[in-house]
Amino acid sequence: MDISQYLEIFIDESNEHLQNLNTQILNLESEPENMDTINEIFRAAHSLKGMAGTMGYKRMQTLTHDMENVFSEVRNGNIKVSPHMVDILFQCLDALDEYVNNVKESADEGTNENEPLIRQLNAVLDTPEKAKESAPAEAKEKAGESGDCRKWLEIQLDSAQQHVIKAATEQGKNVFGLTVTVQESCILKAARAFLVFKAVEELGEIIVSNPSAQDVEDEKFDLDFSLIVVADGDIETLKTAAASVSEISSVVGEAIVLDNMAARDKYGETPHEPKPQAAPKVAVEQNTAQAAVTEAAPAPAAEPAGKPAAPKAGDKKQAPGKPVVNRTVRVDIEKLDVLMNLVSELIIAKNSLVSVSNQVQGQNQSVNEQIEYLENVTTNLHESVMKVRMVPIESVVSKFPRMIRDLSKKLDKKMELYMTGEETELDRTVVDEIGDPLMHLLRNSADHGLEPAELRVQRGKPAVGSIFLDAYQDGNNVVIEVRDDGNGIDVEAVKNKALERGAVTPEQAANMTDKEIIDLLFLPSFSTAKKVTDVSGRGVGLDVVKSKIEALSGEVEVKSKLGEGSTWTIRLPLTLAIIQALMVVVGGEKYAISLGTIQTIEDIAPEEIKLVQNKEVIHLRGSVIPLIRLSNVLDVESTKSPEEHLMVVIVKKGDKLAGLVIDDMIGQQEIVIKSLGKYIKQCKFISGATILGDGEVALILDANALI
Amino acid sequence: MEEIKVVENNEAASAAITQQYIVVRLGEEQYGVDIRYIDNIVRMQKITRVPKVAPYLKGVINLRGEVIPIMSLRLKMFLPQDEITKATRIIILKLGQYGSIGVIVDEVKEVVTLDEGQIEKVAYDSKDDKMNFIGGIGKYEGGLISLLDFNLVMQERENTP
Repeated sequence: MDISQYLEIFIDESNEHLQNLNTQILNLESEPENMDTINEIFRAAHSLKGMAGTMGYKRMQTLTHDMENVFSEVRNGNIKVSPHMVDILFQCLDALDEYVNNVKESADEGTNENEPLIRQLNAVLDTPEKAKESAPAEAKEKAGESGDCRKWLEIQLDSAQQHVIKAATEQGKNVFGLTVTVQESCILKAARAFLVFKAVEELGEIIVSNPSAQDVEDEKFDLDFSLIVVADGDIETLKTAAASVSEISSVVGEAIVLDNMAARDKYGETPHEPKPQAAPKVAVEQNTAQAAVTEAAPAPAAEPAGKPAAPKAGDKKQAPGKPVVNRTVRVDIEKLDVLMNLVSELIIAKNSLVSVSNQVQGQNQSVNEQIEYLENVTTNLHESVMKVRMVPIESVVSKFPRMIRDLSKKLDKKMELYMTGEETELDRTVVDEIGDPLMHLLRNSADHGLEPAELRVQRGKPAVGSIFLDAYQDGNNVVIEVRDDGNGIDVEAVKNKALERGAVTPEQAANMTDKEIIDLLFLPSFSTAKKVTDVSGRGVGLDVVKSKIEALSGEVEVKSKLGEGSTWTIRLPLTLAIIQALMVVVGGEKYAISLGTIQTIEDIAPEEIKLVQNKEVIHLRGSVIPLIRLSNVLDVESTKSPEEHLMVVIVKKGDKLAGLVIDDMIGQQEIVIKSLGKYIKQCKFISGATILGDGEVALILDANALI
Repeated sequence: MEEIKVVENNEAASAAITQQYIVVRLGEEQYGVDIRYIDNIVRMQKITRVPKVAPYLKGVINLRGEVIPIMSLRLKMFLPQDEITKATRIIILKLGQYGSIGVIVDEVKEVVTLDEGQIEKVAYDSKDDKMNFIGGIGKYEGGLISLLDFNLVMQERENTP
């Protein structure tokens, strides 16, 4: 079988299952008796095994199989969950993760047999041989079989369907009930089910299915589904046809009759009694039969693919514990990028329209109205597309509890991770990138932040350290905070280190505020860890964090109080592609400044400018704000004479303010951020370019880089 | 690498292999640009200056919604500053690893087809800066065309002003 087409699904789903396993095993550790958790683990491990088996990844299958054995014993209450066992299980998950990564890179699982792990797993089992032989999956299947497989008996019929069946019986057709079970290892259940539907439809007509055809198509069924079919042939033909579809484990079916229909509650359950096989019938032309059926019932026979008009069969006990599946489609991220680009083009086109209409003399009222309407639509469209690209940060942060647990063991410190706001959404590209910086910060908190338990007790803190990860949306930004109740940053230690490294001179150091000193931590290769561990402390962490977050147009800040802990705050823009900006003019050139960073715009008389340490500052409402003359920064001549009042845009970065001196202001505009291209190595404070309504290009100033 | 190496061509064997070049004028000299790299030729338009970049990078333009960097070939080749006339054009090149880039030329003259026999390879000459960008010299109707190798033009960016 050519499996390459399923590879992507396999990788996606394996990762999901692995993540799920990680989370659940963590739960298991805290509540070893929780049956729901154990069942969930069992289910995930089992799916993983099935998928690996189908794809032909034998080693992965073997490992999951042995893990499953352990879970099975736990589920049966034969062995108890022990911390040792959880450790082994986590190692197994790591090994599986490695397999999946290998598959991702080379479509091959690699050659690592992980035998020591398997041996350990087997050692956990009380009676390894026994457990190994009775693969629980088979046991489960058998249990299923020994129960009543004739699940079609559970189907409830409404009057229309009963009518169809009756009509068909009168025409001398046979009515059959079928229950089809797919193999547990089947990865594309819906596809298999579809093939069964198709095979059956070639022979007859599906009156009703349970779950409904729609649900089956959406894979909202467990392992089996039932059909009631009207057909000319006999049951064996039907069964053979259905069973000929691959990955179908069993087909059970019998002929049925509707007994004493009139006497029954029309919408109630109708018992179906098996009747002896009917004799071969005179062939009735399919067309007439269908016509009759169409007349008789609203259920359209001409559309046998059967979205039966019937409501979903009442009892849904077929999907026990199956979470409600979101109605979603997987979309290639590239397609979304294309969509986003098109929206950008549209906004540029709209901006041109606006600028053209402004030039036209004697403006037409209705033109303006239409343009406003268009503006409305494009803004909404942009928002919707942006929302489509948003994913909850959960996909990234959900791996952290596991990481903290491992760190806790490795560092021999007791700690707990508390997370809130996992549902906070960010642009997909940002979410993909934010994982590493967050991991750095968490490791940093765990390693440097939290004190050893004895010291904590001495200081009157709880022995178990706490690390908090909070995410929330704040206006057009998303804020992620990593907080710990550890030692905090020792400003003196940082200062001494900085002096030692020659990063600052003693005079500079004496004048630096605590905050400035703490910011030194973000310099490349600056680590205050007394010993380098393999967790953190090589001094590659924080500057990487900073540069990565800045690459995402975000910023990172730290607040710390010695002895009480530190808080790292990451602030990220919601979107990367389209922003609201203020258009300004400097020396005849147009520049855009993101509205998000702008506080106020001030009119300053030249005599208000003071000099502090030879730098121009202004005094504004109680704060001293440094002035940055953009004309100097951008190497252009200001068009204003020195006597004129200055137009100053006050921008904010964290709690720092700065005043950007501009020549003139054009106004607010929605702009699309474009890259300057690979060839121009842009300077730090130009974050990109945008195309204005008149087709001209304007550069975007990054106020954060200027401060 | 001091001398110019002339590669002997077997005319009979290479007659079938031809290459098309667009002939452009820069100052008094004629240069050939391999037509495979050319995406577009546009008239001179307003270039938005980008601060703090090499002087030969004139800025960026908007080409149908794309922001494209513009380079002055004259400055890059140590010729005097461009004189913008009616004939001045921007040639938009698509160069795999560098993306799209526009170069300013004084005039676009014609398209010529050269077969291998008409092209003489030139070796890299560290003494002559202008020569560093030339991949070969084409002989065409008695005149000589310096064939620009844009991979060389681009690579040079680190050590030229």
